[in-house]
Amino acid sequence: MTQLVLFNVFNGLIIGAFYALMALGLSLILNLSGVINFAHGGFLAMGGYLAYSLIPYVGFWGALLVSPILVAFIGIVIERVLIRRLYGRDPLYSLLLTFGLAFMIEDGTRFIWGAQSLPYQIPSWLSQPLSYQYFFLTGYRVFMVLLVTAAVGGLFLILNYTRLGIRIRAGTLDLETVGVLGVNVRVLRNLNFGLGIYLAGLAGVLASGMLGLQPNLGDNLIMPSFIAIIVGGLGSLPGTLVGGILIGVVSGVTTVFLPSASEAVMYVMMAAVLIVRPRGLFGEEGRF
Amino acid sequence: MSLLQVQNVSKHFGSLIAVNNVSMNVEAGELRAIIGPNGAGKTTFFNLITGFFSPTSGRIVFDGHDISNLLPARRVWLGMARTFQVTEVFPELSVRENLRISVEVASGLRLRAWLSHTDDDKIRSRVSELIDMGSLGGKADRQVGELSHGDQRATEIMMALALNPRLLLLDEPTAGMGDQETYDITQLISRLHKNGKLTIVLIEHDMRVVFHLADRIMVLDQGKFLAEGTPPEIAANKAVQTAYLGQAA
Amino acid sequence: MPKFDKRAGDILVWALLLSAPFWLPTVGSYVELGTRVVIYALAAMALNFLLGYTGVLSFGHAAYFGLGAYGTALTMKYVYPSTPVGMLAGIVLGTVAAALIGPMIARLRGVYFAMCTIAFGQVFYFIAFQWFSLTGGDDGVSAWHRAPLDFGFATLDILNNNKAFYYFVVAIFALCAAAMAFLLRSPFGRTLLAIRENERRARFLGIPVDWHIWMSWVVSCFFVSVAGTLFALMNDFVDPRALRWDQSGNFVIMAVLGGMRSFWGPLIGSAIFLVLQDYISSETENWMSFIGLFFVLVVLFFPRGVLGIIRRKAAS
Repeated sequence: MTQLVLFNVFNGLIIGAFYALMALGLSLILNLSGVINFAHGGFLAMGGYLAYSLIPYVGFWGALLVSPILVAFIGIVIERVLIRRLYGRDPLYSLLLTFGLAFMIEDGTRFIWGAQSLPYQIPSWLSQPLSYQYFFLTGYRVFMVLLVTAAVGGLFLILNYTRLGIRIRAGTLDLETVGVLGVNVRVLRNLNFGLGIYLAGLAGVLASGMLGLQPNLGDNLIMPSFIAIIVGGLGSLPGTLVGGILIGVVSGVTTVFLPSASEAVMYVMMAAVLIVRPRGLFGEEGRF
Repeated sequence: MSLLQVQNVSKHFGSLIAVNNVSMNVEAGELRAIIGPNGAGKTTFFNLITGFFSPTSGRIVFDGHDISNLLPARRVWLGMARTFQVTEVFPELSVRENLRISVEVASGLRLRAWLSHTDDDKIRSRVSELIDMGSLGGKADRQVGELSHGDQRATEIMMALALNPRLLLLDEPTAGMGDQETYDITQLISRLHKNGKLTIVLIEHDMRVVFHLADRIMVLDQGKFLAEGTPPEIAANKAVQTAYLGQAA
Repeated sequence: MPKFDKRAGDILVWALLLSAPFWLPTVGSYVELGTRVVIYALAAMALNFLLGYTGVLSFGHAAYFGLGAYGTALTMKYVYPSTPVGMLAGIVLGTVAAALIGPMIARLRGVYFAMCTIAFGQVFYFIAFQWFSLTGGDDGVSAWHRAPLDFGFATLDILNNNKAFYYFVVAIFALCAAAMAFLLRSPFGRTLLAIRENERRARFLGIPVDWHIWMSWVVSCFFVSVAGTLFALMNDFVDPRALRWDQSGNFVIMAVLGGMRSFWGPLIGSAIFLVLQDYISSETENWMSFIGLFFVLVVLFFPRGVLGIIRRKAAS
């Protein structure tokens, strides 16, 4: 029984880490620019598919390195050309735009890579279990947790110790003042968007290794990201991180006792937060 | 008993003390002006009275009710109406529609799905009455957002009046206006005060307006109470002069 | 817009709607498309009650549309094969769900509100997908059909006669449109406009804004669930796609495309969108990309919608 619980908690941690990674990207964009990037799932899928195509040329590690950067670059271009025009307007329009982009990306990936599932090759030494007692600790899963930790750590370092990061944080609190202080707000938003998309692309590459590739890969992961942000709190990155991991773990534990409710429990958490504390666990008052 | 009693009210924003232990009693029928240099906490004080937020300490009693923590909509129902420093109206609707909404809500009809002819007529005539009172005759069917600053303010004041308030709070009603508009708004406020026997509290920077209209004046400086009295008393008050003009006064 | 033009516009709309089965074939179209346009128009107009008139960003309306559809389908398949009963069940299901969810989100605004509506929308999609034993999961609810309407003195065969079904749909649409128009012109409707125009001022006039938003939400979801019941009847089928996020997006784009600030805007948006979608999906497999592109273009170049542009021209 304990094995089962441990397995599911660990699983939940991994899944939660994913949700957190994706939700962090979404949260970055939402906090600074007020845009819900509904196409986030699409960028995630793009990350996985591009990596798949790159593997024959640069191998597993090369793809892992390059693909998210490529996707981030595409994101930067899209922000510059399309999303930037909508900042002053009603948030309705940017949401509709990202909706449209989500359609286009999902269909586009289907067009280029086909609608069937594609297998994603991971190096064989990673897929071995690390211990026979805890068989679920495959190398790949541990690797994923390590990588997500590294990514989140990297994000933390960027946000606290680089000029860009500090400006992003300041901009989240008061964009107008930041602009008045001489920072180029447009470029800031653009780079922030790219950073968020980088995280989505990275999550995509990791997800492909675990789940395989299909056009609606992003679909399943975007909702938990939303819930992670709602639960963790609007406007708070640490909140999003905690939110993602929390829903992953709770979902994992629920699998032990009531498997069919494991996904539903996330929505129950969301409802509970909205009723009891609408701004979320770490959310700021007045953000909405 | 005074209509409005503000008792030792303070408002802290973290470590910033915006309003520091201020008290004020306003009698029914009075026109009170609140003045003070920039940053004195006047608008914050207003916001406390009207329910924008709750005081950190102290009480606010209106018409015998303790309203310190009541929501704004509730205070409106008790008889308090306000205008804002930046005019808050319904910009894409016409003056007439703006007033109509105010009258309907004030008449308790906000949930009605239909109106009888009699009700409809009553509302229309009340709206016309307000339009005339505010001298908005020729512009009643134009979008408020397109009118001059003065007319927008007049519309806002008439909307507040539509609520049949016992107490009208005006936050810098002549802000950003030229001489003619300032004169018109001052005349309007004066008319409303005398005809309706309204109690009015207003924040103002324009001293001509203050000294023309006010029965009593209260002075705030850096969140603290500085002085209170009739216009002549305040004009002669050394501390007030210093606060406004600096030590050299 | 001058009163005369509004009247003329209304008359034109009804004239076109009532005569559609006769002129649709002559332009190379077919009655079923007309039926679909009217049903989606009802859904989009219901959404617009919230979006265009109250200023509230709901992106999860497909949930209540779908609940209306599933309620009807399941009732007619398993309980009692009567169209009115099925419709009633669907409407009750959609409206009650909305009424219960409303309080959880009525305090929220802007993008946060939108996020939560999307998330709640997804809950029902997920339930429809997972609850295989009841809903048939991805396969949907099939092997049932709409039942002819028996009025006692006559029977309207909406099952076999496409024209009859079209007029049935138009009749329901007319009732709903009239009700919505009525509400929008009432004092209550005006409070919604007030909230859209300036929430702070509405609050300081004494309007309990959160309550009114909740009421507007329930009214809107009521009408969208009616559209959902008609949707199920039209297809004699329903599957989780009726509840998906893209369906919600479709309703919004129809309202925006036609013009959010006008009553008939969503109808025009529905017509344009469905005709376009019909045409594109018959030409290419990748119609989804084109629809996505269409969303992008509308947002960038037609934010005020068709009627919005016409109004602008008329005013200048």
